[in-house]
Amino acid sequence: MAAVQKTIDTVSALEAYEHGFVTDIETEFAPKGLSEDTVRFISAKKGEPDWMLEWRLEAYRRWIAMDEPDWAKLSYPRIDYQDAFYYAAPKEKDGPKSLDEVDPELLRTYEKLGIPLKEQAFLAGVQGSPKIAVDAVFDSVSVATTFRAELAKSGVIFCPISEALRDHPDLVRKYLATVVPTTDNYFACLNSAVFSDGSFVYIPPGVRCPMELSTYFRINASGTGQFERTLIIADKGSYVSYLEGCTAPMRDENQLHAAVVELVALEDAEIKYSTVQNWYPGDPDTGKGGIYNFVTKRADCRGDRSKVSWTQVETGSAITWKYPSCVLRGEGSQGEFYSIAITNGRQQADTGTKMIHLGKNTRSRIISKGISAGKSTQTYRGLVSAHPKALGARNFTQCDSLLIGKDCAAHTVPYVEARNAHCTFEHEATTTRLSDDQLFYCQSRGLDAEASVALLVNGFVRDVLQQLPMEFAVEAQKLVAVSLEGSVG
Amino acid sequence: MSLAAAIAARDPDLLPSRRDEDWRWTGLRELIRVVPPASPKVASVAGHAALAALGWPTLVFANGHTLEEASIAIPATGKGAFVRRFVSASDGAAHHVEADVSVGEGGRLVLIDSFEGEGAGYVASAALSIRLAANARVERIVLLDDAEDAISVARTDVDLAPGASFHQTVLAAGAKRQRFETHVSHPGAGVNVRLDGAYVLTGKRHSDQTTVVAHAGENGITTQLIKGVATDQARGVFQGRIVVQRGADGTDARMAHHALLLSDRAEIDAKPELEIYADDVSCAHGNTVGALDEAAIFYARSRGIPEAAAKAMLTTAYLGEVIERIVDEPARELALAWLTGRLERLA
Amino acid sequence: MLNISNLHVSVGSKPIIDGLSLAVPAGEVHAVMGPNGAGKSTLSYTLAGRGGYEVTGGSATLNGEDLLTLGPDERAAKGVFLSFQYPLEIPGVPALTFIRTAMNAQRKARGEPEVSAPDFLKRVRAAAANLRMDMDMLKRGLNVGFSGGEKKRMEILQMALLEPRLLILDETDSGLDIDALRIVSEGVNAMRSPDRAMLVITHYQRLLDYIKPDRVHVLAAGRIVASGGPELALELEREGYDKYASSSQSVAAA
Repeated sequence: MAAVQKTIDTVSALEAYEHGFVTDIETEFAPKGLSEDTVRFISAKKGEPDWMLEWRLEAYRRWIAMDEPDWAKLSYPRIDYQDAFYYAAPKEKDGPKSLDEVDPELLRTYEKLGIPLKEQAFLAGVQGSPKIAVDAVFDSVSVATTFRAELAKSGVIFCPISEALRDHPDLVRKYLATVVPTTDNYFACLNSAVFSDGSFVYIPPGVRCPMELSTYFRINASGTGQFERTLIIADKGSYVSYLEGCTAPMRDENQLHAAVVELVALEDAEIKYSTVQNWYPGDPDTGKGGIYNFVTKRADCRGDRSKVSWTQVETGSAITWKYPSCVLRGEGSQGEFYSIAITNGRQQADTGTKMIHLGKNTRSRIISKGISAGKSTQTYRGLVSAHPKALGARNFTQCDSLLIGKDCAAHTVPYVEARNAHCTFEHEATTTRLSDDQLFYCQSRGLDAEASVALLVNGFVRDVLQQLPMEFAVEAQKLVAVSLEGSVG
Repeated sequence: MSLAAAIAARDPDLLPSRRDEDWRWTGLRELIRVVPPASPKVASVAGHAALAALGWPTLVFANGHTLEEASIAIPATGKGAFVRRFVSASDGAAHHVEADVSVGEGGRLVLIDSFEGEGAGYVASAALSIRLAANARVERIVLLDDAEDAISVARTDVDLAPGASFHQTVLAAGAKRQRFETHVSHPGAGVNVRLDGAYVLTGKRHSDQTTVVAHAGENGITTQLIKGVATDQARGVFQGRIVVQRGADGTDARMAHHALLLSDRAEIDAKPELEIYADDVSCAHGNTVGALDEAAIFYARSRGIPEAAAKAMLTTAYLGEVIERIVDEPARELALAWLTGRLERLA
Repeated sequence: MLNISNLHVSVGSKPIIDGLSLAVPAGEVHAVMGPNGAGKSTLSYTLAGRGGYEVTGGSATLNGEDLLTLGPDERAAKGVFLSFQYPLEIPGVPALTFIRTAMNAQRKARGEPEVSAPDFLKRVRAAAANLRMDMDMLKRGLNVGFSGGEKKRMEILQMALLEPRLLILDETDSGLDIDALRIVSEGVNAMRSPDRAMLVITHYQRLLDYIKPDRVHVLAAGRIVASGGPELALELEREGYDKYASSSQSVAAA
């Protein structure tokens, strides 16, 4: 306990990455490495039905035959997939428990992270904020999900996916891997074999989810990868806003995070998915440690007039490989992608989106703001395509990069594929540096260099910040400032 | 991995394929099962009235060989203008050609490179290089008039000394597969590069304009305007990459690609890329794909201009913007005539 | 000259014009006034033949000839001219080229000979001088980079050169300062003649101080709810459209 406190103190003294502490809790691991036995171990731990085990094993066999992708502008040493734990969970007593029974050490952890796990609590620092239901995923398991009873009254299912597999097998089976097929890509395939937990959300027809839903991912154990799987289904005419947060301790090793998020929006349904990704980015000077974040997020706008909007604030991870996408299948469906990505130190990010227009009169909008500082590298990679049948498809993309310092890099790689005469695609991109004049102006009004940068950068990303739910916007704004610390001499 | 290597070895495995990132929209391996035999030497080719009318010195390459032992002296300083014709004269044969141009210090050159298909079903490859000494200026017009069923890939490497300027306009009509690559190593240092292009594609023609400009020094300028029209089942591809290397501060680079789709079976693919390793830069790119502006068509019609004429007028104006940037008047007239001729086939 | 009878127009599936009737005899200037959303622009676009405005009933004829089945260019050849509220910018097409193309297309459609280049230039110079427009403006891309006032002058210049029989002015005063308004109005007034009809569509009375109408109609909720002399415009200026908004609702409800 004393050691933990000491770590906490050290970290808060550092200030740069405030979530870098370790929770001292007894943890149960799967045997190190990856084999069919690992997959069986995980499946057994979750008490899964046979079809699920078979599904996982099939994914594992396909994965062995696949090659790790190398097209992204990322450079990192080869990952040794045998040198990691694929399952780590805080040891628990038998039986399900209520919130009151959650290990107080875990509760303290989330309290410190500013995540309310008590139903009467509100998000730290925001007065009068609305209720938020939280699913807390700690390493490989969900440790608590709040407000479930209240949500159940409206028919909303919000639970760990492992539980959904037991309690709602038909729903899971109907939708799982229908948006991101098992073999979609190397990391999605790996995830299919070994995913351990994540959130499951089902919003019944016509229901407007009465509160924000959120999942908070925490990697704690050393030498462990996190492979969560999230599945959100918004049935006809429903609405849900979902938030995702992530942090991890500061460690010298690289830890792998390979998640899959699938969203399904049926007719007239709307899903708003917001992410504040603040995984440990590694040591800013040496580049040691940090999370390797290889994530597949995709939404299927299956129903007519459905809408999905992705908003992401990416400040963490040593390596980010992530393209939240929308398949616009339903007629008149809409996809949106709003992104702020900040890289500093020696971070590398290759991130963007895909908007696949399949249906008539589908619309999409991409606003991406990338900020590179320090010795970091950042790439926006985006695809906008219109199928021959996607008559009337429209896309607008605005993609701006801001460079701070001589040693960083910013790349823009948009792909545009238009296959009918009735689509309209517009793409604008700029790359500039922070203006000396603006910096000087701020400083002449009494702001120091870092405050000036934070102010100007917040202005640069404003369009996207506005898309975040209010509770997160405040958080994100602070994060922007913290992420850029040390970026100006 | 190139068409030239595949032709030399007659080995289709050496062809780039769709799986190669830079060839994702112009794969050749999927198209060429067997590399055709080498093109024969030919003694003469048909004339080209529009080029002949310029009255400029002309070098003719037929099937990869120079036709006569002619050489053109490019003045070290002062002005020069000449035409190179790269003619693919035989059916179902393959050839590769290499040619260089050097322009001395302070030299001025207007260069017209015309790629012509007299034969059918040929496979043509070209590797060209252009070197500009200090303060030299080149304006180059490229006409790509390949046969409809031909496969044609040309690459030009441009090397620039300080104070030079290189302006290029590529006019492409497409082929079964057509790719024109321009690679510019940009030293910065007050060098001004303009890489423009236009394409007018009908039938099942495909055309790919690929450019790479690497800024290595400070204060370099690059501007690009590529515009195209595709109808029927044609396919237009633009891949542009601007690289600003570490230390290339003060770079000002602007790239724009705009395309019109006139048929629901036509396709436009674009990848306008920026790769930036310096912070004191101003770079931008824009890309639009769409149909002709309905409001503009209605406006013109409301003044009494019939629909077909209104569309032709707007399309000509759309592509004409590229032509207007050509400085040399005879070259601009030639380009305009080319464009007008191609647009007539569109109607 | 212009005869609109029981016209119904929908945009999308929404009815906008709802049983509108209006007759403008040759030689007369009629003003159509109405609040925002009354259907003023729909009326002008429908008469000019813009796509997306679906006529679901009624008729519109020019000198007895049906307009509604004609394409926009055919209507133009018959003498219909719409001065746009927001004239378009057409990069790459110089105004001179545009107007000459339009003029010759119309002449061809009417079986008249093309106008010669010198003759055309002479006419343009004269018309441009009247509107105090610089010839250089006409050599650049149509309306590209023009101010709101310059664009409206360009509309009137085209009108003067194309010599239409039915002139439709859609919110021509919007975006004009007082000097530009005077120049534009002079240009319009110069077009008045016994064989022309003019439909002036406007929200404000201001324009009618310069272009005096013979008749004023109030358009509300898609139909003409009142007609009168020029004094009606002044009354509207004083009292606003409230009265008609409510009466039209009661009419619609009835």
